[in-house]
Amino acid sequence: MPSLTWGGMDERIVMVDSVTGLTLTEEQLDERSATATVQLRRRGVRDGDGVLVCLPAGPDLLVAFVAVTAAGGVIWSLPADLDAGTLRELVRGSRARVMISNVGPAVDAADESRVRVVVGVDDLCAPRPYPV
Amino acid sequence: MPDSPRHNLPADPNRFVGRERDLHDLRGLFAETRVVTLCGVGGIGKTRLALQVAAGLTAAHPDGVWLVELAGLRRPELVDQEIARVLGVREEAGRPLLDTVTDRLRDQRCLLLLDNCEHLVDRCAEVVEALVAACPPVRVLATSREPLRIASELIWRVPPLDLPDDVTADVESVQLFLDRAAAAGTRPGPESLPDVVRLCRALDGLPLALELAAARTRLLSPGQIADRIDDRFSLLTTGGRTAPARQRTLLAAVEWSYDLLADKEQVLLRRLSVFAGDFDLDLAERVCARPPIAAGEIVDLLGGLVDKSLVLCDESRYRLLETIRCFAVERLRQAGEQEQLRQRHLDVLCELQERYFQTEMVEPRVPWPCRLQALTATRTLLPDQRAALDWAAASGEVGLGLRLCRASTGLYPIGGNLAEIVGWLERLLALDVSGLTEDEIAYTKACLAYGLETRDELGRALELAREALAGLAPGSLFPRGVVHSLMVVLLLRMGRADEALCHAEQGLAIAERSGDIWNQASGLAGLSAVALTRGRLREAQRHGEEALARAREHGHRWIMARTAGQLGAVAEARGDLVTAKAQYEMAEPWLREVGGDLDLARCLARIGRVAAMLHEFTAARERLAASLALGRETGQRQGVARCLVGLSVLAEYEGDLEGAVLAAAAAAALRESIGQHSATIRIEELLGRARTKLGDGRAAALWSRGRAMSPDDAARHVLEGERVPPRAPVPAEPVRPSLLTAREHEIAGLLTRGLSNRAIAAELVISPATVARHIANIMEKLGYTSRAQIAVWAAEHQQAPPRASA
Repeated sequence: MPSLTWGGMDERIVMVDSVTGLTLTEEQLDERSATATVQLRRRGVRDGDGVLVCLPAGPDLLVAFVAVTAAGGVIWSLPADLDAGTLRELVRGSRARVMISNVGPAVDAADESRVRVVVGVDDLCAPRPYPV
Repeated sequence: MPDSPRHNLPADPNRFVGRERDLHDLRGLFAETRVVTLCGVGGIGKTRLALQVAAGLTAAHPDGVWLVELAGLRRPELVDQEIARVLGVREEAGRPLLDTVTDRLRDQRCLLLLDNCEHLVDRCAEVVEALVAACPPVRVLATSREPLRIASELIWRVPPLDLPDDVTADVESVQLFLDRAAAAGTRPGPESLPDVVRLCRALDGLPLALELAAARTRLLSPGQIADRIDDRFSLLTTGGRTAPARQRTLLAAVEWSYDLLADKEQVLLRRLSVFAGDFDLDLAERVCARPPIAAGEIVDLLGGLVDKSLVLCDESRYRLLETIRCFAVERLRQAGEQEQLRQRHLDVLCELQERYFQTEMVEPRVPWPCRLQALTATRTLLPDQRAALDWAAASGEVGLGLRLCRASTGLYPIGGNLAEIVGWLERLLALDVSGLTEDEIAYTKACLAYGLETRDELGRALELAREALAGLAPGSLFPRGVVHSLMVVLLLRMGRADEALCHAEQGLAIAERSGDIWNQASGLAGLSAVALTRGRLREAQRHGEEALARAREHGHRWIMARTAGQLGAVAEARGDLVTAKAQYEMAEPWLREVGGDLDLARCLARIGRVAAMLHEFTAARERLAASLALGRETGQRQGVARCLVGLSVLAEYEGDLEGAVLAAAAAAALRESIGQHSATIRIEELLGRARTKLGDGRAAALWSRGRAMSPDDAARHVLEGERVPPRAPVPAEPVRPSLLTAREHEIAGLLTRGLSNRAIAAELVISPATVARHIANIMEKLGYTSRAQIAVWAAEHQQAPPRASA
């Protein structure tokens, strides 16, 4: 049986959050985005679907971008610091079915849009086994 | 298990249009999500979508898809009651109903559809959380304007139907409008398509708004409707100006449709809002016919409202969509009619239930089909009855409320839930009862005592029954007879046969004087039971036969079954098993007819036990299995324990002493867990025989093993002759490697080496994004949620690290 070599070789840092100083390693990025991809697919994201992503710049944003791409979706990015009115307009104008966000005004804007499911990055990255 | 359809979903009232992708995605979600809540404003189509989703999930839920409609409920505690009612679960003595429900659902692969949770959202959240925690295979689909806000919930926001754009008009909203217009008898031609498009946009694709508009196409063109709806937005009256856009749009459409009604139609629609559930023409006439509407006009007015899609009609029963009902309630309030109507609703419910009660129980010489019809009718009124009782409590109409409780046999053991009736009685009695007569209070106490007996609260029940007897007016003969019979039951259960005899005699005497056949049968059955307790078998037989004769004269299947059961018990006591079985078997179809599932479970268990003693093993097995299934379905641990005792008898008569000990031990353990004591004589005898034949050690070991067994395992052991396998985790089905493509295999192999996406990309000369996609595909195929799981899987499934070749 081959030995598994987790850790060590993929601790290369791919991102540093300038505000918090927290880092994201390549391994973390691969692992978290893989989990998020599966969660996006389970929530119905298919090839070519628009997925709204409204998150502050940082590791979560990178994970979300990679996950949406891997799931076959099209990233519709929304700056997290937009005012509520603009956000509402953009969200309602989109035909996205899924939104990745924990940003309050963006989540509120989903209310009268065609977004079915709003999900936070924490939710997407929590690996969940299949239920019994 | 019967092959009856394992769902209670209604048939589609008309074609379901659009939302194919949503249906597919939502159904897919249930593979991993426990709770999905469809959220959105009223009229957006949550219920219809949920029903459609659920209908496609019946195959995936072998234990059933169960719709629980909550819109008509006004009190949080009724959520538990309604779920239990739909599932056929009955309250167990001394145990919260929700515990019995979760126990019943523990291993069930079923989907509960909780429709219209918003007004009871807190209780719904608690109940769903409890169910999800205790019952791993159970799934919940809820519809609500507000989410439940619990951890396991996935909130799905239901959007309006797709709107036409500049390129295509062949979209869901237009399809729905045209479909419903066609149903109304109009087919807008191609020239009106631009107007239809404009209308769909004005109505924002809201299904209910589109339906209301389409229902008017016989008189107005789509263009005219669109113009008028546009005008509406500036005229909104019902506090809707500040509401979110979709809610405003919907309100505008409903107001528009309402304003187009003739005056009398408007009056009727708002009056119909007092009904909690669906209703028939008769009920509508009784409650809603008052100036300016005459009873004779209601049928036509209702027809008009159905044509305009404001009232739904299904096989002569009518109902309002919850959104329309809420609107109509508001209009009723504005018209200043709410109190009058709710009072009238309470009055009518009282009159009807009292009449049904008389027909079912009291009046002599009523043919059984008429009695059954009355019983069925009273059950149908349950949602309205709850609403009426609520009004009685809210408006201080304690007298009427109590009358309604007393008359509602549908809430009694045969048909309903005692927890509920006891709750209502206690709630009403806690209000100001100073206006009531002593007789009324006494009769109410009798009902309460009746409920408490079934809950095994014997002492309190006896006290109340005594108070009832002391307070009942001399002329209240039927209730007096009932209380005497109840006293007989209570006193016999408490081992006080002498006092019981007194009441049986008194009850019978009163019933004979007044020509009350029900209580004659009941009193004679009581005399027979007392004689049986005292070992006077011939006397018991004579009274029992007479009781059955009177019961037949009355015709009610429940009292007939009860007296036949009494005769069966007498026959058993004298060792005449053939007659005993015949008597129990006579009762079985009667209990089926009356829908008394608890009594039926008991009856089947008795037949099974006696058949086993007669060496009719096939019949015994069949009846005990049926009784066990019923005990499980209704959530009655006592019933399950009773079956285990029967199975123990069966096993011993078949010569399987080991099985007999196991089943008896499992029954004893189960009874102890619900605070009951087992009948020890048979167990001691059985253990004595086991010790002699199997040896002390073996008998003791079997007993402890049986006590530790689950009731289901113990039952299976006897029913199927199944040897219980040791509890071991079932190995997961190995995933066939051929599921993966060659490239995916290769990448899975590289993951075992701990390579990053970037490194794999470099090795395979593809982009990291492509690697990420492959990994997502692998995870999906293998059902994993992390890369590490793939690596472990690949390590186990590959002999050697793969080469980086295609």
